[in-house]
Amino acid sequence: MTHLVVLDNEAVQALSHPAHKKHVRVMSHIQVVVAGRRSRSLPVTVVVPTTVRVEAGWDRSVPAWAFLNRLLIGDVALDGSTANLAASILADARVSVADAHIGAVIQSAAATKVTVITSDPGDIRRVAADKEVHVVTI
Amino acid sequence: MLPALAVKLIKPPKARTTQAWYASPMDAMQAVDRIIELLESDMGQTSNTSMRIPTALRDAAAIAVRELGVAASTTALTAAALRARLEAAVMQAVLDDHFRQYPEARPSLGDLAVAAAELDGHPLAGEPARIRQAALEVASRHPDAEPEDVLLWAEARAISAP
Repeated sequence: MTHLVVLDNEAVQALSHPAHKKHVRVMSHIQVVVAGRRSRSLPVTVVVPTTVRVEAGWDRSVPAWAFLNRLLIGDVALDGSTANLAASILADARVSVADAHIGAVIQSAAATKVTVITSDPGDIRRVAADKEVHVVTI
Repeated sequence: MLPALAVKLIKPPKARTTQAWYASPMDAMQAVDRIIELLESDMGQTSNTSMRIPTALRDAAAIAVRELGVAASTTALTAAALRARLEAAVMQAVLDDHFRQYPEARPSLGDLAVAAAELDGHPLAGEPARIRQAALEVASRHPDAEPEDVLLWAEARAISAP
């Protein structure tokens, strides 16, 4: 079983700022993922769609983002086919580009389980359409 | 112009095989950054190593590859396991460093149990108060308890509740 954990903009913001009111909450999820990988070698991967990174202002080349870079949170790029899918989602669900990209990641994921950590569960369920997604609301 | 002897002293010995970064002390985050750099670099280059592993472990891996299809080869299995372990160690070192800098950012056992329930889709995920109460009860008797212990206790309490 493979498990993909996707962060939305607020999850990124909360993780990056220790003073953010939801910092401990998102840190808890990251700590659980790390503990699972450490003790049981669970194939859990935490990713961020690149448009979410843009929205959050996460520039990997800037030292201020070193903490998140070091947590090995992978990028999911908006390539041509993902952009097509995201454009279709955006038109149908009337969401932001970043949320449409999250929808494209959910709909095209090969992982057996997809979890999105988000402050907007309604939008995430809409962009997931028929694809099963596990939503953690922060 | 430098005398020949001085040039000889300045030039690094050609026979050195250990890189300077390896020989010199690093702090934990420097080590983390170097490990990440290596993990993200070209994995196409391979090396023979003199690493010794228990024979029984090697044989068990060979059977797992051949009979269970867990990986394309024992080498692939070993490399994947090593990579996963290194990634987990890096992430834990980063979290430990973060908690040293910001102790208030460290989640409690209750926070971790709630997060574990949410990520696993546990039946009690929607009842954080029940999980936090269970965490308090478990932690009072077992200070080293894990989030899974809390969830088991919370579930047992939920079943026995009127």
